[in-house]
Amino acid sequence: MIYYFVPDITIFGGIKVAYQFVDALNLLGVPAVIASPQGKAATWFLSHAAVVDATAAREMFRTEDIAVFSLPHDYESLRKLPGRVFYHCMGTDPLIDPILKDPSVEVLTCWKQAQEYVLSHGVNRPLNVGISISPSFSYAGEPKYEQAVAYMPRRGRELCESVMNTCSSVRYIKIDGMAENEVARVMKSCSIFLATAENEWYGLPALEAMSAGCVVVSVPVRGGMEYLHDGINCRVAGLLEYAGVVAEILSPESMLLRFRLRQNAIATSKTYACSHMINRISRLLNGPLSSWRLC
Amino acid sequence: MNTLCAIIVSRGLDEMLRFCLKSFFESADQLYESVEVIIADNASPRPYTESSLSERRIRVLRFDVQTRFAVACNRCVKECETKKLIFLNNDVFLDRSSLNKMLQNSCRAGIGVVGSWLYFPDGRVQHRGVVFGHGDIGPYHLNRGQFLDPRSPFEEYQAVTGACLMVNRSLFNQLGGFNESYQFGLEDIDFCLRVRQHGYRVLCANAGRPMHFESFTPGRVELDGPSRQLFLEHWRGKYTIDG
Repeated sequence: MIYYFVPDITIFGGIKVAYQFVDALNLLGVPAVIASPQGKAATWFLSHAAVVDATAAREMFRTEDIAVFSLPHDYESLRKLPGRVFYHCMGTDPLIDPILKDPSVEVLTCWKQAQEYVLSHGVNRPLNVGISISPSFSYAGEPKYEQAVAYMPRRGRELCESVMNTCSSVRYIKIDGMAENEVARVMKSCSIFLATAENEWYGLPALEAMSAGCVVVSVPVRGGMEYLHDGINCRVAGLLEYAGVVAEILSPESMLLRFRLRQNAIATSKTYACSHMINRISRLLNGPLSSWRLC
Repeated sequence: MNTLCAIIVSRGLDEMLRFCLKSFFESADQLYESVEVIIADNASPRPYTESSLSERRIRVLRFDVQTRFAVACNRCVKECETKKLIFLNNDVFLDRSSLNKMLQNSCRAGIGVVGSWLYFPDGRVQHRGVVFGHGDIGPYHLNRGQFLDPRSPFEEYQAVTGACLMVNRSLFNQLGGFNESYQFGLEDIDFCLRVRQHGYRVLCANAGRPMHFESFTPGRVELDGPSRQLFLEHWRGKYTIDG
């Protein structure tokens, strides 16, 4: 059995990616469950992963079982378990360096920058299992308000406020504490998405916004640069120029640019469809992760 | 030794039960495997007798007092030694191909439970799998009451209905059978969730066009409320949302 240990059920991208990964494994016939404190399930996005109590999972853990985790804090306790331990790398904070140095911990990554980081830290053969966007974000031509801007104030609030001061005539829709389907509905109805979190590792919301047909204006994001291509499928702007770039994108003269960026954004997001991730994992299960089918 | 045992908890409704058994044996005739049936006579006003059912492969286990579905099923399982079990409601009429298709799926590695698409007599979908909604919505039958055809041989769900549910006897026993706290209803969903917690998959197969009249037994629907309450007490916040 594969136990994917998660710290809680809060609205945090890493939680969703964990469930997404377990869903993909289940779909491919691999027995995997989420191990969560008190067996609580995250319910803010769609999933059909089974959830078990993390404490019970630790107690019944056998040598043939596999533990997967993504939160560095779990490392100390999980490395003592008798089975194999995999670190699912979703960020490249130096906090993870001791994990990467431990040869008994195998490493999975989700994107190119993380892959490069772990390789540069001496990890042997890390496996990129990919990341995907929920189909609920897939834009199917729903009506959009051309002058509506979606934003997530949780990180980068000041930048959002500076945009609001610069472009005061447009409508701003705050995304905060919403379930995934509600986020998708908002994004599909908006023209622009502000990705303002400077310290984001990857920025899954920006990719989801692309899938929902938004023009994304993003600050540079470490891992996210694999899908953010300035002037091609989005605008990438530093803090000082950010509000000006948003104002330019919102201007009537930029209508064609918005159309072009939106089309390219949707095309980019298609390469992160669930089916792609499942194919990628399937290939790994037929190769380096073949033992996972037997656990 | 027989391979498959059907367990049918039934109360009265003699004609309904007769057709249920007829359809079961017609479907079983398409198998190489041998089958048997245990009927839990759940305090029928006029007790069933093995002779009245005129089929040597049927055994009747009589409960003089009306007994919870889970208790009756668990008791019947103790009476059989087959590798596979199928729980059937007495108002489910299988298709000739049903058992074969369910068994095929059930024999695959990692499969814990196999259910089947079920249809109302007018052709609308009664069951194609159970999905889970937010809060008090909880578990519900996906696409119930719609005219719909399956697009694939099977689909994976968190749960399927116990009206037609196939499982390995060893797995059933390993999990302690159905939870006997439930009065009537949702013990099947509780069971499927536990199956998945142990890493097994729950499938709903396109197994012909079996029919399900649904909740025909008198007094059955009244027991849904307490069961639902108990289910939510046990499981609220512990299942993912897929509906």
